[in-house]
Amino acid sequence: MKKISTRQLLFFLACIMPVGKLVLLPARLADTSKNDLLFPLLVSYLVQAAAIFCALLVAKKGMTFYELLANTFGKIVAKILITLFAVFLLFAAFLPILEQKLFVQSVFYDTLPSFVAFAPFFLFAAYLLSKPLTSHGRVWDILAPLSVVGILGILILSLSSADFSALAPVGAAGWKGFFRGTMSATAWFFDAALLLPLLGTFRYEKGLAWKGTVCYLAGGAVVALFVAMFYGIFQEISPNQLFAFTATSKYFSGISMLGRIDYIFIFALGLVMSFYVTLPLKESIECVLEAYGRPRYLPTLLALAVTALFLALVVIFDYRFTEVLGFFTETVFWIIPIFSVAIPPLLLLLRRKRHAV
Amino acid sequence: MRFKKFLQTVPMKLWIILIVVVLFSFFSNDFGLVDIQKTAIILAAGIDKTENGFSLTAQIAVPKGSDRTTGGTSSVEIGAEGETVSDCVSLIFSETGWVPKLVFCDLIVLGEDAAREVDVISHLNYFLRNDYMPDSCLLAVCEGKAEELISSTSAIDDASSLAIEKLFSEAAVKSGKVLTNTLKDFAIDYYGVSKCSFLPYVRMKEQEGGQNDSQTAAGGGGGTSSGGGEEKQQIYIAEETALFREGKMVGLLPREQTLALSLLEGNVFTGTFNTEGDGSPVTLTVMKNEGGISLDSAHAPKAELSLSVTVRLCCRGVTAPVEDIASDSVSEDILQSAKATLTEYVQKLWDLCKESKCDVFQLKRMLYRSSLKKYAEWKDVLLEAVTPVIHTQVISMK
Repeated sequence: MKKISTRQLLFFLACIMPVGKLVLLPARLADTSKNDLLFPLLVSYLVQAAAIFCALLVAKKGMTFYELLANTFGKIVAKILITLFAVFLLFAAFLPILEQKLFVQSVFYDTLPSFVAFAPFFLFAAYLLSKPLTSHGRVWDILAPLSVVGILGILILSLSSADFSALAPVGAAGWKGFFRGTMSATAWFFDAALLLPLLGTFRYEKGLAWKGTVCYLAGGAVVALFVAMFYGIFQEISPNQLFAFTATSKYFSGISMLGRIDYIFIFALGLVMSFYVTLPLKESIECVLEAYGRPRYLPTLLALAVTALFLALVVIFDYRFTEVLGFFTETVFWIIPIFSVAIPPLLLLLRRKRHAV
Repeated sequence: MRFKKFLQTVPMKLWIILIVVVLFSFFSNDFGLVDIQKTAIILAAGIDKTENGFSLTAQIAVPKGSDRTTGGTSSVEIGAEGETVSDCVSLIFSETGWVPKLVFCDLIVLGEDAAREVDVISHLNYFLRNDYMPDSCLLAVCEGKAEELISSTSAIDDASSLAIEKLFSEAAVKSGKVLTNTLKDFAIDYYGVSKCSFLPYVRMKEQEGGQNDSQTAAGGGGGTSSGGGEEKQQIYIAEETALFREGKMVGLLPREQTLALSLLEGNVFTGTFNTEGDGSPVTLTVMKNEGGISLDSAHAPKAELSLSVTVRLCCRGVTAPVEDIASDSVSEDILQSAKATLTEYVQKLWDLCKESKCDVFQLKRMLYRSSLKKYAEWKDVLLEAVTPVIHTQVISMK
């Protein structure tokens, strides 16, 4: 089977993962932590970086996620655990997909913001979900430069409008603001969990763990710069700016003469996001296939079933986004850290059973 | 070597297809399609206070010719009354069948009553909440009713809003004659610790000899009256600046203090101001301007207002010899006089702000950002307690 190369994996960590954190997260952090919004972000990144380091070390064992579990707990328990993990991935994917829908509707189709405008996404998703997981490696090769150009373009156009002194004074939001911010941010930080289903699809090369962690933190630094800039531009009204990366660049002085040239970069990032939000769905399907086998039509059937499920969920929650956001960031915020922070280090501790499979 | 290998693995055809798709999507502008026959493209909105709430006057661009069309933008004004601004917008829709569209609304004008008597965020919050409203939209207050201003016939443009927007151009701002503010920046000031801001104050002036027999279309909700027959053409002036505290208009800066605030912000380039030289009036042009406001909170708070201008002689109020006309440089006598004039403008600006308790300099914000402890100590009495130190420097162009 064709493997994901180290380069592709590093591109994913450095260039693709940050994109998912540029839409609603900055406004949510500004809402909960005010001008101290960088602190919850930094803590979330550091915790995830540690988990990613562990997840990449697990790759040294050369086994898939399911094989690791089966070797220690046996097939039945492993199947239960992997099913739980697959459900978790579907759960984690829901907010980003809803986010993507709102973003596409509100930003690209502002004159006709109807659900129909977003519906073709599901055709695209169904196609992607039916492709092998390793094909995402090639996708990351293509998307990484697009992502870099998109983020750089937006940063360059926006920097001059930002007043970074708005981030002072440090500690104004207090501990409460910090904890609320960290709690809210968990909904967007399941990065380490995304690496687990990829175990076995790439070879561990010397130094991959620290290289991957550094790449992830480099992407995080760009996100932190963007979030600081976002707050510097919108200051007290930041919580009202839902689609952060589409809003910051429009104050560039050249826009009044040239038109919204920043939309080129917004489109580029929108495209990267479309691929990024489907990844947890694909990984969820892959977990099930790994555990229960791959009869001829099952991958396609699962791809169609997951697409249909999410189409239905998006329709059902079309006008309940605030409720969904509150549910993810305030009620069940603890679920994501269990899977994305606790599991990777625990996997390092797993020992092969004497009579394992 | 590695880079070459990477390039070989990336399918170039896919790259090209992706770039073409992204560029095509952008340049096609298909995402911006609007059914113009069913949509009311609002160019500007005027808000007034009424007994029961608000009245909204929307100036709407129309796709067909009208009496007022002279080959440029034709427009009609539709008015509606309601308890909230949203009510008014809904009424415009229900009574005309046009879907009001705010994406192109670049100007919101507040009537003086609406600005003085109620917290303006009570009506502006509709626009802040609206995802399709650009927050770079300009805000202004007008003398009398916004409805009258929006519905007036401009002497210089087809639509009054377009004529008013000309007053707020970048060139006008650089002249120091007008201070503009956007919905975004006004909201940031309002929700910030100072809770103070400013907006340009627009007056209408009848154009002598100018007359137009255009007809103002009227619609819904008992708003705009239909004006048949002859209507006087108007010109607009926005040299004054309205001061806001906690969302209410609390004072008005005359043109000199508008200039002083612009100079303190370091905005002015090629703006002019008058002073005296050899007992006659002299106009100087500002060729370079640096300004700044800082707060020293080490001991008792002290505000430092500093401005530096490089000027050249623009005009004398008396006949001058040709050698004088050929020279740009300004005599020491005039420089001293200009320094005194600008210092007086800034001092008066400070007094007016203090009188109206409007922290237009954002001193509270500066204190808050520099020290939470000092902020807690001084926040309630800062403007009264602070001592202003004015530094003015006027340099002649060589």
